Amino acid sequence: MNKKNLRRVISAMLVIALAAVFARTSDHFLSARNILQLLREASFVGLVALGVSFVIIGGGIDLSTGGIAALTGLVCARLSFIPGIPGIAVLLGGVLTGVACGAINAFLVTKVRLTEFVATLASGFVYSGLALIIAFRRNGIIESRPILNKSFTVLGTHVGGVYYITIVWLVMTVLMMLVLTKTNFGLHTYAQGSNPKSAQMSGVNNNFIKSGGFLICGFCVGLGASMVVAYQSAAPVTLGSAVAFQAIAACVVGGIVLGGGRGDAIGALLGSLFLTLILNGLMKYGLSIAWQSILQGGIIILATTFDAQFMKLPIKRRVKVKPGTGKEGH
Amino acid sequence: MEEKSVLLEAKGICKQFNGIPVLKNVNLEIRRGEVHALMGENGAGKSTMIKIITGVYTMDDGQILMEGKPVTISCRQDARCCGISVIYQELSLIPALTVTENIFLGQEISRFGFTKKKEMRRQVKALIEKYGFDLDPDMLVSSMGMAQRQMVEILKALSMEAKLIIMDEPTASLSAAETETLFKTIDGLRQKGTSILYISHRLEEIYRMADRLTVMRDGENVGVLTREEMTPQKVTTMMIGHEIKEDKNRERRQRYEGNCLEVTGLAYKNILKDVNFKAYGGEILGIGGLVGTGRTELIRCIYGAEKPSRGKITLNGKPVSRSIAKNIKAGFGLVPEDRRNEGFVPLLSIEKNLAIASYDKLARFGVVNRKKEINFAQEAIRGYDIRPPMRHLPVGNLSGGNQQKVVLGRWLSRKPLVLLLDEPTAGVDVGVKHELYHLMRALATTGSIVIMVSSDLAELTHVADRILVMHDGRFFEEFTHENATQTAILLAASGVHTSEGVPL
Repeated sequence: MNKKNLRRVISAMLVIALAAVFARTSDHFLSARNILQLLREASFVGLVALGVSFVIIGGGIDLSTGGIAALTGLVCARLSFIPGIPGIAVLLGGVLTGVACGAINAFLVTKVRLTEFVATLASGFVYSGLALIIAFRRNGIIESRPILNKSFTVLGTHVGGVYYITIVWLVMTVLMMLVLTKTNFGLHTYAQGSNPKSAQMSGVNNNFIKSGGFLICGFCVGLGASMVVAYQSAAPVTLGSAVAFQAIAACVVGGIVLGGGRGDAIGALLGSLFLTLILNGLMKYGLSIAWQSILQGGIIILATTFDAQFMKLPIKRRVKVKPGTGKEGH
Repeated sequence: MEEKSVLLEAKGICKQFNGIPVLKNVNLEIRRGEVHALMGENGAGKSTMIKIITGVYTMDDGQILMEGKPVTISCRQDARCCGISVIYQELSLIPALTVTENIFLGQEISRFGFTKKKEMRRQVKALIEKYGFDLDPDMLVSSMGMAQRQMVEILKALSMEAKLIIMDEPTASLSAAETETLFKTIDGLRQKGTSILYISHRLEEIYRMADRLTVMRDGENVGVLTREEMTPQKVTTMMIGHEIKEDKNRERRQRYEGNCLEVTGLAYKNILKDVNFKAYGGEILGIGGLVGTGRTELIRCIYGAEKPSRGKITLNGKPVSRSIAKNIKAGFGLVPEDRRNEGFVPLLSIEKNLAIASYDKLARFGVVNRKKEINFAQEAIRGYDIRPPMRHLPVGNLSGGNQQKVVLGRWLSRKPLVLLLDEPTAGVDVGVKHELYHLMRALATTGSIVIMVSSDLAELTHVADRILVMHDGRFFEEFTHENATQTAILLAASGVHTSEGVPL
């Protein structure tokens, strides 16, 4: 078994072990209803993690996903109040908003030449601000207005107990897995994340890969946020406040190494499941938000240390450079 | 040996940088299916020559013929089209991808953006079988050792139908067993008619592998030797040229036995195996040897920047600490090889860079005495003739030589008991070099221990009172200043015993 698979199996076993613990201590944990609810909760973080994993594997980072989610949600809400608009059009509007945000990120990184960190930190603020501008207000105070457009909110429901957002998440994961492993774009993303210089020398278009990552990320976040809004029948301005960092955390826990070149879509999926499971399960034990937060941090430290120490991941070999000695005297 | 037809012929190659000729009318001829070694000291023009053949630099004058036909090589792509590939010291593979994916990176066979893995795999497999490599096309590069990675690089070159593969110090990061594998691979390539241009400092490898050998010195081709003509003495003499007899009758240095650094049985990873030596106050001890033999690691171990796996380091009988901060307090100083990254802080001023290691003396209760700091800097700038003498100037803006004076000055101002220098004059112009030697000598005369690692043979024979030459993780021979010659040091560094040196 190679290390890639080993890491995946470890993540999967952790998820199963955690589930087993909760199943022993809580009677209704293994009920179909509870599991499907859990999956629904994991889906949003999962979709965002899936998107952001592309950027991370390509050697970048996207901190703006929270802002994108908030903006997308409100665009959906606004659209849904247009009389007679079909739900699918609202969804499309949401997804396009996400893609547009991704395009702006790509522009900032490839054309303005900001680093990914700075570009998405800044754009995230801008997207959150835009979300506040288009938020519903009564007497100047922001309010969350219930969405009554049935053709849209139906996207937030389930079929045979499985929520649509979960289906979308799983389908997207399979799709992205194919893109990462079967397409030139996917391979080039790994190459770029591992060693941008040598990738470029081999004919990889760095800017194209970076832009593609941000667009895919925007797409996934837009899709996820729209579906969540449909489920909640409302678009709170706080929709994305925690999701950006949770998604990055999920990636790290799932074996996607910050710095690039390692990990895959399955990792993002497993990481999201693990985080949701642990937060959800601990809530049932009555652990306070404070402890959940501390625990989440601890898990990230553990996962990263594990990857660095036991998986022997990014170890740089010291390559000696010959000093250019000028010769003299003979 | 039968005469093989000529693959690449470079005629009368000239190249200047800023008006300084680096290549003077160089000829190079590589035959089909031969391993051709290119040798020369650092700065002889080997790298420039290769960069011209591979299209990184353009030549000022000359002609390159490939299989008898003149070709223009003005970019890397041109070189690739002519069938010339380079395998760099720093490998360029993507660890997260498989062998197949790496070989086809950037030129995937695909339809509608989906890569045709089976087809690519088939081609790679065919290539592996043709050359008899021990590789699995589906293996992840991250799970491979250095030698295997190198094979993938070679395979990548072969997939582009390379007729000439240039290898620049290919064994630099390989273990002995891995080197053996590489040699087998090279042998196989030679039999299949691929030519190899082999660049290495290690003479023993050259004798073993090369069919012919071109030696360069000062930007000129000083001769071509066939396998039968190669002897270590001949090659080193050609590399160094006529050695001017130095005046070795300088006044004898006073050695202070009272200040003594002793290293016994030192081992570090698998680089240093068993290092033993004593260095005394009053003398400049030179450490020679090939790049990558562990000289840098040795002085970093002494300084406390690396943790040795075995061995003892004592200064005047007391064990040396493993903490850099404590060692600095105890009188150690290091002028590192990588000046820009480890030697100084480019954005900080001359003043701060000079004072950075001496705040224990310049501050009281953690508060820096500004007056003392300014005085300290001004004294150093005057004493070591740092130019321009402006204490506010960021060190990054100074010339290489003056940067080095700042780094050296930082330690000299503390009057260290032990000063360790790693390639102290690399990239420093000749005038400043002698100023640096003078400063080092002045420190030694006060009774301090000065240890200098250098690849510059002229520097070792000229400056050091005693020279220890490292080979294969141990000190191989010791030379006194009076007996040392550049040729002898170079031979000892390659593991050949000399009459001038004392075996250790």
